[in-house]
Amino acid sequence: MQRFLVTACTLAFACVAAMSPTALHAKETVKIVFIGPLTGGNAALGLGGRNSADLAVQLHNADAKAKYTFDMVKLDDQCKPDIGVQVATKAGADNGIIAGVTHYCSAVAIATVDTYHKFGLPVIVWGAVLPAITYGNDYPEIHRVNGTMINQNEVNAKLVTGLGYKTWVIIHDTTDYGKGHDEYFTKFLTQDGGKILADFGVGADQQDFTAILTKVKELNPDVVYFGGLTPIGVRLRSQMDKLGIKSQFEGTSGIVSDSYIQALGPLAEGTIAFIDGAPIDKLPGGKFFLDQYAAHKYGEPPEAYGPYAFVAANLIMDAIEKVGPNRKAVTAELAKTKDHQSIVGPITFDAHGQNVVPIVTAYVVQDGKWVVWGDSDYAKGKRKLAGGK
Amino acid sequence: MRVPLEADVRAPARASDLPVAALGIAAVAAWLWAFLVTDRVAILGALLAVAAIAFVLAQRSAVAKRYGLALARRPRMGVAFAAIGVLAVAAALHDQPYPLLMLCTVMLFVVACIGLDIQTGYCGIVNFAGAAFFGTGAYTAAVLAKQGVPHLFGIVCGAIVAALVGSLLILPVLRTRGYYAALVTIAFGILFSTFLEVNNALGGPQGLKLPGIDLFGWRFNRDVDIGGASASFYVNYVVLALALALGAYVFSRRVDRSWIGLTFDAVRLDETAAAAFGIGIARAKIIAFTLGNFLCGLAGAVYAMMQGFIAPNNFTFGESLILVSILILGGIGNPLGIVPAALIIIVVPQKLQFIQEYRFLLYGILVVLILLFRPEGLLPRPVRRYFPAPR
Repeated sequence: MQRFLVTACTLAFACVAAMSPTALHAKETVKIVFIGPLTGGNAALGLGGRNSADLAVQLHNADAKAKYTFDMVKLDDQCKPDIGVQVATKAGADNGIIAGVTHYCSAVAIATVDTYHKFGLPVIVWGAVLPAITYGNDYPEIHRVNGTMINQNEVNAKLVTGLGYKTWVIIHDTTDYGKGHDEYFTKFLTQDGGKILADFGVGADQQDFTAILTKVKELNPDVVYFGGLTPIGVRLRSQMDKLGIKSQFEGTSGIVSDSYIQALGPLAEGTIAFIDGAPIDKLPGGKFFLDQYAAHKYGEPPEAYGPYAFVAANLIMDAIEKVGPNRKAVTAELAKTKDHQSIVGPITFDAHGQNVVPIVTAYVVQDGKWVVWGDSDYAKGKRKLAGGK
Repeated sequence: MRVPLEADVRAPARASDLPVAALGIAAVAAWLWAFLVTDRVAILGALLAVAAIAFVLAQRSAVAKRYGLALARRPRMGVAFAAIGVLAVAAALHDQPYPLLMLCTVMLFVVACIGLDIQTGYCGIVNFAGAAFFGTGAYTAAVLAKQGVPHLFGIVCGAIVAALVGSLLILPVLRTRGYYAALVTIAFGILFSTFLEVNNALGGPQGLKLPGIDLFGWRFNRDVDIGGASASFYVNYVVLALALALGAYVFSRRVDRSWIGLTFDAVRLDETAAAAFGIGIARAKIIAFTLGNFLCGLAGAVYAMMQGFIAPNNFTFGESLILVSILILGGIGNPLGIVPAALIIIVVPQKLQFIQEYRFLLYGILVVLILLFRPEGLLPRPVRRYFPAPR
């Protein structure tokens, strides 16, 4: 029992010692919040987002001309909707917090929109791709800087129909990611005049696709579209080759990774895929972002959606600088965002708070590298994709 | 450590019981208020230290015994004071939605854990699928609310469906023992969340949205106005969750003190001996399992409507483990122990948000320390007193 007492006291004092000293600021300090998955399976993306948003705040605070100093509260939603609602309530109920950079996971982002609306807290979603987060409600508080599956597939359908392909077979995994891509690609492809011969759903851990691919061979489409992540993409592409299917292969943002090319080798050549966002090193601010990120020595890389968290934090801070720390005024100011220059391209929010001009970049594998479509030998006509297009 | 003997409920009540209990509840309520409202690490640490010291001192001196005796002799008074204490805390927090939400969450988890306690603590059936039954209640309430069924009916249906699903699972559980029975429940828990993920009618991995509770025209999700003062809408849920938690507590105590409770004891302690004395093992297990799952489903249904959104990853195997760890930390078989355990397991990680990705490390250390110094849980189950104390 004595030992228990000692331990309890030690713990208490350790906690007191750990409390961070409150820094003194000459300028008025304004609190904003970052929410993302900092623990659990999606922690890498969440930490990248947190660091990027933190970078934005630090750069802003270093600017002597700024009217306010910003203090970013960082909360962990664990990628779980109920924890998300808890932390959203925490942030929303704290009147000192003016706005938020919120959520990577779609299920959490959709679960919390009501909470933000209830508390009138303006937020900018930095990573979740589910369309309903912005389009499923009329809440003025909810904004999003990254694109949705809608944008990605719209660009995709336009590009491939423009190449002269006529018939498609769609294969998608049965997670929300794959199903969403299936839905929107089907919609835009039909609009652009493409013909879908068949649509298959596959399990996220399925190994053998021979049955489906035999059917695909019989249908002989111009293009096989795959909505899903790298592991299945690799298996599908290699098994297509075994069965002698000569169709063009295209995928979604889920297969744009170096491991796709490493696993397939020469077979990867000519695969087309799309990601939301511009190639970061090609944008005017992209190099600046990467340099600053490196200079601040964060322990984790920014990951794919870090730049969006950076941009979202900047949008919020710019709005607060302009109209002052007031939630209603910031909500109104964010709604007016039009052609705001950022490191992910110009940002314009539509009536639902969705960024309508998210850049979608097409990539093609050329000589063992993902090359931006416009720069590739395929676009210039020097090489031909499958089917001679 | 010596396991305490149950307080003697047959001892005559004393006049001093009332002020003693009132003082105790007032102290606990004040602590709870400070604990829920604090955002400062220093205060949180101090509060935990104060609680630990007070707890140890009370155990060593006669205070805990005196207090336990006062509550044991007047069980109704204890429940009434607990209700007054929580309502006082809720009144003090009426305009702070976040602490109220945490208070509701804790109370609903207490209901679910009391359900598990009836299974594990009373009857000895280990259930690692608590979150699945919690989720069954949640999804049933969600689907029925979407169909426009009255919410009260939907919540009760959630509890009943959880009990019914449990009565199917009990078949393989009855045929197995020990680790194998635990494995059956683990398999069911995993099956449940996978089923939700592939089932589009139930929202798939993206989850389901559901409305706030509407009881006979009283809309729970609307802020409450009483005599000009405005209170957060979570006050509604606090009152409901409190009623459920106290109801579940009284119910579990009644079960424990009845012949059913004695039967459960016999089955838990020695199945063979119990069977030799003519006790229906299967019958006792079915009763315990069904009652427990009913409470889990009930808590899940209300939780879902309070959250307004449910998704499969709220009800994974990991969540079941959280429920079981609340049970173990509190002391298996003592429904009172669940309350401090739920506070620690649910609220402390949220209070540690300031250390971001490292918070589960610190939180894990805290839990390990508690189990190191109190392996039988915070409030171990007292030994049943079959005969009045000699006096």
